[in-house]
Amino acid sequence: MVDGMPDNGGYMVAAYIAAAVIVLTYAVALYRRGRRP
Amino acid sequence: MREMLLHAWLVLRKDLVLEWRARTAFLSTLVFTVLVLLVFNFGRDPTAIGPLDLAPSVLWVTFTFAAMLALNRAFQLELENQALDGLLLAPVSRHSIYLGKLGANLAFVVVVQAIALPLFALFFNVDVGRVLGPLVAVMLLATVGFVAVGTLFSVMVIRTRFAELLLPVLLLPFLIPPLIWAVMTTAKLFAGRPLSEVVGWLRLLAAYDIIFVALATVLFPVTVSE
Amino acid sequence: MNHIRVGRWISGGALVLLAGVYVRALAFTPIERSQGLAQKIFYVHVPAAWATMLAMGLVGIASILFLLVKDDRFDRFAESSAEVGTAFSLVMLTTGPMWGKPIWGTWWTWDARLTLTLFLFFLFIGYLLLRSAVTDAGLRARYSAVLGICGLVLLPFIHLSVYFFRTLHPQPIVLKPSAPSLPGPMLVTLLCSVTVFTLLYVGFVMQRYGIAVVRDESEPRHG
Repeated sequence: MVDGMPDNGGYMVAAYIAAAVIVLTYAVALYRRGRRP
Repeated sequence: MREMLLHAWLVLRKDLVLEWRARTAFLSTLVFTVLVLLVFNFGRDPTAIGPLDLAPSVLWVTFTFAAMLALNRAFQLELENQALDGLLLAPVSRHSIYLGKLGANLAFVVVVQAIALPLFALFFNVDVGRVLGPLVAVMLLATVGFVAVGTLFSVMVIRTRFAELLLPVLLLPFLIPPLIWAVMTTAKLFAGRPLSEVVGWLRLLAAYDIIFVALATVLFPVTVSE
Repeated sequence: MNHIRVGRWISGGALVLLAGVYVRALAFTPIERSQGLAQKIFYVHVPAAWATMLAMGLVGIASILFLLVKDDRFDRFAESSAEVGTAFSLVMLTTGPMWGKPIWGTWWTWDARLTLTLFLFFLFIGYLLLRSAVTDAGLRARYSAVLGICGLVLLPFIHLSVYFFRTLHPQPIVLKPSAPSLPGPMLVTLLCSVTVFTLLYVGFVMQRYGIAVVRDESEPRHG
């Protein structure tokens, strides 16, 4: 970390995880619906 | 064109006459409006919050609810006795039906507003007379905005499940822009700002109205065709 | 063409590429000095925004085309695009405040971006609710098309109301959320991410479309 830079990595991690969870959940849901429509 | 307007007038008159005979929706809307005004009035601490801070919001919450109740009433009317089907069989163009209903809903809300406004001025001690002209203009413009899209959607939701729940949900995104402009304009008017500051918003409201009334008139036949 | 199968391949490939974008954005893209690590949310939030707008725009266009031509394929496409758009708008709604809190100091603010996001979400949800509330397929298609077109026409007005609101109420902006011109490596990451999200959109819509085709074959449309 460079001095003077805000320490907000936690938000980044949370956001990346949230986005991945949503995308993956929807992808899985579509996959399963496609198997027995 | 003249015939379309004439038919629209007939539809409008029919709706209003029916409403006048029963008067239930009108009275309940009025009672509700007074209730909202009273609650907001007693709910605030007069020493801490000046009436002008809350006034525009209170006014518009009241008007928006009145419009929603009017729209609900509109399709209840059609639901009974399948009146809408009867109307569709009549030799009037679909556009006339929409414009007539729009006019009836508008008239309903405007009458409620005409009664609510003096009560509001009384309870909140706001001098509306000073800005009455522009205030009436913004009230009319915003109400047309609410009711134009609302009338279109209310006919659609008749044939759905959970109709009463669905209408506000569908309408929400469409109510917000005119509501924002109306509240901002009203706030400026009550604060005694010059008219030049609100002209922009009034123009936006007018544009919104023209576009959505035209769009709804064009789309309405789609919702009732077989 | 078996939409479901082709869509699955495209989505699967896009998901793998998304993992690659994640790695690139997190490990191989420079950190923005004044905003810190949180700025990297940009590489997820902006492409999601693009995909959401794309989804909404295509719902509107498909709605217009459906009413003009009365081809059921446009209706199926619209319903698919709306569902996929809802998912991406959810990504926007979660990543947006998570980016706003460290940068602006507040979870929510009525700026153009977040307000538009919320509206798009409401419109999508309303569209899906309307579809689920109408049982007759023909009626459902027509009603959805009407709502889709109204939603499309509403979008410029939302932008205008936010614009006026902002000129009156300055935002609590401590740092500018996105640099006006991106340095090279950052731009590359962004473009990669936008491409991947677009691929995801295509793959998801194809699968959803295929599902709609199968559903309609078992319950033929009438009216």
